[in-house]
Amino acid sequence: MTKWGMVIDLDKCTGCQACSTACQMENNRLPGENYQDVLYYTDRSQPTPKLVWFPRPCMHCEEPSCMHVCPTKATFKTEEGVVLVDWNKCIGCKYCMIACPYGVRFYTDEKPVIEPNVKDVFPGTGDLSWNPPYKGPQQDNAHGVGIQPHGVVSKCTFCYHKISKAPKGTSDLSNEDPALREYVPACVRTCAPTARYFGDLDNPNSEVSRLISDRDGARLLEHTGNKPQVYYLGRSAVVPGFKKS
Amino acid sequence: MDKPTMKVTRRRFLQASGTAAGAAGAAIGTGQLVGLKPIGEAQAQQASGQTVVNKSICGQCPARCGIDIYTTDGRVHAIYGSNDHPIANGKLCPKGHLGTYILYDPDRFKGPMKRTNPNKGRNEDPKFVPISWDEAFKTVADRLNALRDKGESHRFGLFFGRGWGASDVGVNIAPFGKLYGSPNAPIGHSSICSDGSVLAKQCTDGNASYSSYDYRNANYLLIFGANFLEAFRPYNNNMQVWGHIRRDKTPRTSVTYVDVHMNQTAAAADRALLVKPGTDGALALAIAHVILTEGLWERSFVGDFTDGQNRFKTGQTIEPDSFTEKWTNGLAQWWNTELKDRTPKWAEAITTIPADLIVKTAREFGTTRPAIALFERGAHNHSNGVLNGMAIHSLNALVGSLFAEGGLAYQMGPAYGPAPADPADYMDDYAKNGPHKKMPRIDLQGHEDGYLMAKNMIQEVGTNHLAGKPYKLDTALFYMTNPCFSTPKAKDWEEALKSMFVIATSPFPDETSMMADLILPDTTYIERWQDAPTYPFQGWPLAQLRTPAVKPLYDVKTFGDTLIGIGKLIKGPTGEYYKKVESVENILRHLAKGFEANPGDNGVKDFEGWKAKGCWYKKPYHWRQVRGEFFEWDGKGWNKPMSPDQVKAKLMPTASGKFEFVSSYMEKKKDWVLKATGRDPAKYNMPHWEPPKYTGSGDLHFITPKTAMHAEGRSANLPHAITLFQPANGGNKQSLAELHPSVAKAKGIKSGDRIKIKSDLGEIFAIAKVTELTRPDTLVLPFEHGHWAGGRWSKGRGSHVDEITPAQSDRISGMANYYTGKVSVEKA
Repeated sequence: MTKWGMVIDLDKCTGCQACSTACQMENNRLPGENYQDVLYYTDRSQPTPKLVWFPRPCMHCEEPSCMHVCPTKATFKTEEGVVLVDWNKCIGCKYCMIACPYGVRFYTDEKPVIEPNVKDVFPGTGDLSWNPPYKGPQQDNAHGVGIQPHGVVSKCTFCYHKISKAPKGTSDLSNEDPALREYVPACVRTCAPTARYFGDLDNPNSEVSRLISDRDGARLLEHTGNKPQVYYLGRSAVVPGFKKS
Repeated sequence: MDKPTMKVTRRRFLQASGTAAGAAGAAIGTGQLVGLKPIGEAQAQQASGQTVVNKSICGQCPARCGIDIYTTDGRVHAIYGSNDHPIANGKLCPKGHLGTYILYDPDRFKGPMKRTNPNKGRNEDPKFVPISWDEAFKTVADRLNALRDKGESHRFGLFFGRGWGASDVGVNIAPFGKLYGSPNAPIGHSSICSDGSVLAKQCTDGNASYSSYDYRNANYLLIFGANFLEAFRPYNNNMQVWGHIRRDKTPRTSVTYVDVHMNQTAAAADRALLVKPGTDGALALAIAHVILTEGLWERSFVGDFTDGQNRFKTGQTIEPDSFTEKWTNGLAQWWNTELKDRTPKWAEAITTIPADLIVKTAREFGTTRPAIALFERGAHNHSNGVLNGMAIHSLNALVGSLFAEGGLAYQMGPAYGPAPADPADYMDDYAKNGPHKKMPRIDLQGHEDGYLMAKNMIQEVGTNHLAGKPYKLDTALFYMTNPCFSTPKAKDWEEALKSMFVIATSPFPDETSMMADLILPDTTYIERWQDAPTYPFQGWPLAQLRTPAVKPLYDVKTFGDTLIGIGKLIKGPTGEYYKKVESVENILRHLAKGFEANPGDNGVKDFEGWKAKGCWYKKPYHWRQVRGEFFEWDGKGWNKPMSPDQVKAKLMPTASGKFEFVSSYMEKKKDWVLKATGRDPAKYNMPHWEPPKYTGSGDLHFITPKTAMHAEGRSANLPHAITLFQPANGGNKQSLAELHPSVAKAKGIKSGDRIKIKSDLGEIFAIAKVTELTRPDTLVLPFEHGHWAGGRWSKGRGSHVDEITPAQSDRISGMANYYTGKVSVEKA
């Protein structure tokens, strides 16, 4: 069985945030509420200061604490290992947001980061929380894909609407193969330095498996026992201990 | 498509099942609650149509990546990099994806309009009223015809921003001025862009151009102020290169990066040298000094001492005859006059970079081939900018990187067919001999009283117009440039627009539109036909094509068609020329005919193929220098040896046909240069150290860099871009002023405080960010925000940096010295 996972090479990541904007547009994110954030940290003093960054999608944990605490079982894990929210079942209680050690869940009706509020500029009707003019054709509330309804929590879906259509048994999803590019998660597809890899963690011969093995793929906050399906490679494959910008 | 289900709200869930019955909630199956509440729009809407993918090119930076635009049911909903395009390679930078938002910007102009309030100013409502395109064109043409009848056609100016030259906005802009008769049509924006590097190259290797770079094969990059991973073109491809050279390639390419604050490129490099603003030239000279004294120069390119013994010793001159140069000219003179004393210790005192780090950098750069030294605005936005650039570019000559694999070269143009009409056939007597022929340009470019060697001087136009020197403009047309906001001393331009008839063509409200008499809104890049030969990239020719993904959303016209529409109404042969030109699409069909004889590597040989692929290109670059010998491509390899005359004609068009440490180009203008700059006659024509002239009486250098999110002036009104604007410093609502903790402490400023930044020109307000990333002598405030006119997100947000940026320009290049100002800060 395929178990989708992601590998992010911090030695290649340039901190450009194209993953964030590709995701913003693909998944109709509100400004400043990114499923895929890049975090920046600084330390030390002039003339030798230190600046590092850390891209952070949902970890799609093997043991997702968000799922375990969900009172309505709105958060669930697919057979292929993707953690999703069924918006038809979500009651917006935000327990999952507290339980998630990675801070990658978003409630629909928060105060906007930027005024004027895009939700007022492009108002939704009925359940739809807003209606951006560039809205994509996909809307799948049962898998938390598309425009959020009011009152729910949403999160990165690994671009479920794309990967779920990939041919069965595919080991890696990459932009390099024109036949597969439409199935690649937006952040992986656009990553200019190719710092992101996406593939089947259960396939020992997938590129992601090889990278994790060859380059000591590390997972974030191992002590929580969540067992992320996102691995980091490179110089600072841990969240730095110093102050966030 | 989701089934018509009902979302369970928290309240309803609690009411229906009780908190203990979570499992029961989950069991509420599909459809069970239908009827409690209307079915949401999203669920009800069926996506019926097919998704169409359209090939085009991005319009948010000069790189112009090939893009795939996804449209379903007439709605554009995604943009990804095109796999067919050799710059994009299926990838995009963070800006590219936001193009959909540019298309659907709710503040766009909906059609042509004219001003009805004669008073102009920041607080004057223009009272625009809609007009027809016919009326719009007639209004402009009547004005221009009347000016021409009076013999005052020079008082028409056409100012343009984006375009690699005047030819790639779908229509060549240059013939308009030639046929109509104005030296001011067009005036480009290059002097507020990167002319400093163009002149530095022209003065040394004879090419008035940006360079093409073969980064992928380089083993060392020494980068001065070209923010490779945030703001240097082609940004997307630079990042692709980065992933390759820093991880995939063996050996890994080393990078030393020079800038005035710690940014992403500095952080990602192997070594960051945080240099005092304007002193990059001193650093480069010291590196050259070490390369020579330690004998690290590339002998096959530069040459050697006749007896092979290195006589470059600090402080000592050499016998000019003792060194035989090969592809360079003037090394002995440069050493004896300037370089012999430019030690790392000397440079440390000027740059604040420790001498040992300068030596280390020089040794690495001098011993790792191929190596590239590249630079941009950070290094040349100063009074000594061209000298800094010449010093840095000379490092490329010293290590033999010119035209080498893994080095740098220049850009070939595409195999275009002839345009529909040749302007030379449409010149009337007035065009050939009218009074405009004797008129200088309004910006005094190319004039002894102004900037003799500059390419453009758009930043001088407002000031010159106000003074009536050399004259006043009557009518000004703007395309993708907003100088009353973006030039130093922007207020002069703003004031000048009050006494001109202003025609704005931006699709979006901006400062120029606010001062406009006519608004002729352009299409966005998603809605238009347009070609673009590549900016210098990897040397081989590449021509890209923009094709409309959707019909224009509103009653707007592509600028090229607007210019043609006006041109058709100009009396005499000009009108005939534009009737023959017909439309942008017609021009593009003619250009594509050139591909028949030169099919692209991707099989593109006609207009239809160009449209389907979005680009035509033909590898390789035709010339290569290998260990001091030049070769030309013969169809199979770089096999044809080139004579010195061929190298001179095709590659290094200097007087000597070589790379000149002593510039013949500068020497040709010797009298003017000496008078204008007051430089030492012994050194004026070679890379040498001259302290930058800082302007203003403050104690902090005022640096206003470009960030990754700068989308040619568009990102200020993109809410998503605003939140990502200055991520390393937390600027997610507006650009923040980066201040070193020592400065902040002395002034009692904390992060988040409102501060006042004062220069000699006035003061602006900003929000402070106290950070160790910025030097203690420098205040960094990225430009973008502070619009006093614009859309709902851009207007009134943040600080307008160019209001207090002084109007000083490099006398040689005319490059606006954006980073020369000194300011003081206090808590507001």
